[in-house]
Amino acid sequence: MGTQHVVTMLPGEGTGPEICEAVRLVIDASGVDIKWEYEEIGLDCLDKHGTLLPDKTVQAIARNKIALKGPTTTPVGTGHKSANVTLRKVFDLYANVRPAKLIPVLKRPWDKIDILNFRENTEDCYAAIEHMVSDEVAQCLKVITWPGSYRIAEFAFKWAKANGRKKIYCVHKANIMKMTDGLFLDAFREVAKKYPDIESGDIIVDNCCMQLVRNPAQFDCLVLPNLYGDILTDLCAGLVGGLGFAPGANVGDTCAIFEAVHGSAPKYAGLKKVNPSAVLVSGIMMLRWMKEEAAADRITKAMFAVLDERKHVTYDVGGTATTDEYAQAIVDKMHEKA
Amino acid sequence: MPTCTDIAKATKKKREIKLVGIDMYIITEEGIPKFDEIGAFKCEFISNRGTKVWPGFVSPDLLQVNWYRCRFMATQTVQDADVNTFLDALTKKGWWWSAAQKLWNYDGEPGFSKAY
Repeated sequence: MGTQHVVTMLPGEGTGPEICEAVRLVIDASGVDIKWEYEEIGLDCLDKHGTLLPDKTVQAIARNKIALKGPTTTPVGTGHKSANVTLRKVFDLYANVRPAKLIPVLKRPWDKIDILNFRENTEDCYAAIEHMVSDEVAQCLKVITWPGSYRIAEFAFKWAKANGRKKIYCVHKANIMKMTDGLFLDAFREVAKKYPDIESGDIIVDNCCMQLVRNPAQFDCLVLPNLYGDILTDLCAGLVGGLGFAPGANVGDTCAIFEAVHGSAPKYAGLKKVNPSAVLVSGIMMLRWMKEEAAADRITKAMFAVLDERKHVTYDVGGTATTDEYAQAIVDKMHEKA
Repeated sequence: MPTCTDIAKATKKKREIKLVGIDMYIITEEGIPKFDEIGAFKCEFISNRGTKVWPGFVSPDLLQVNWYRCRFMATQTVQDADVNTFLDALTKKGWWWSAAQKLWNYDGEPGFSKAY
């Protein structure tokens, strides 16, 4: 019997709870020993607790140091602050790790994509410093700091080295934003000197977008400031099959939260028809973080087999299976293999 | 025939503007600043890299830089001259600041973001 892990489960809202239940079913069947602690987050708990992120949830994440999170809703324009951004701020989850890897059974126009994105998660235009500086002018401060830039570069190079990656590029717009993006690039270059075995370089963000859609195979790892990272990670997700299959992790020095990056799709809540794969692949990423490689491999193989057969897949990939039926098919496939 | 610029300019609506506070950007190596009430303004919160660091709990692991956004809200009806007095008092107290941003309400709605 292996180590028992304690993981905080944050089902979120909308379709989040039904997705997370399906994912838990699969992970529990993989042979890994996890005690799940359920906690609340998001708009649904605002009425009950007066906050998007109750203290009890914060304490549980701080205690367990690892969480798996379902989608939450972020109101556009006015309204409440994003629960996701609040989580990142509270736990200083400065690294958003977003792999974009082709899933073999999903037909895409490319033979190979295996990009690891490291998005700085706490600064840039996300510092929540906005003012109406006159009645017809709004401004948002883009905050880039040396230590914030240095640590995401350090994190990326360390991760790349530990995982046998060969090449890291810094994505920026330092030709125009010479102070802010220039500082980000300077910090990256300083860190790169410490890792001579990893090829490093930089690329201007607009050129990077064009290159990504023309020839994504040329990229290995990308380090990006927050805003470009937000946009390009979704672009990369689109290259490999959309947000429905995109894993993500928000990592700090003390804890890590694994989550899908898609929305909560409230109009589908309770229908049990949505594809839980994004949370599932985030869960697989979590298992690897926990050094449970065998369980992660087992789920990955079973999921690919179920997708390949197309008998028990959800509507978005051409099937009619419910969320639960898809999850159960993956569980059955794992048992078959065993 | 009006240009697109002319059409856009014509959409401007007059809004009532009221001074309600100041965001002060303070540089210090001494950690989170502490303030008494200064003139007609009282510090409501302090953030660092956009994360609230005062009042309330702040994780010892949180990365902080030497630049703090300190939000001072007016405790009474204030005018621009009160801001000048405030800035003078703050400087005399030895605080080194990089910028000040007046906070206005527009038709009663805040024209500034809250801190996380």
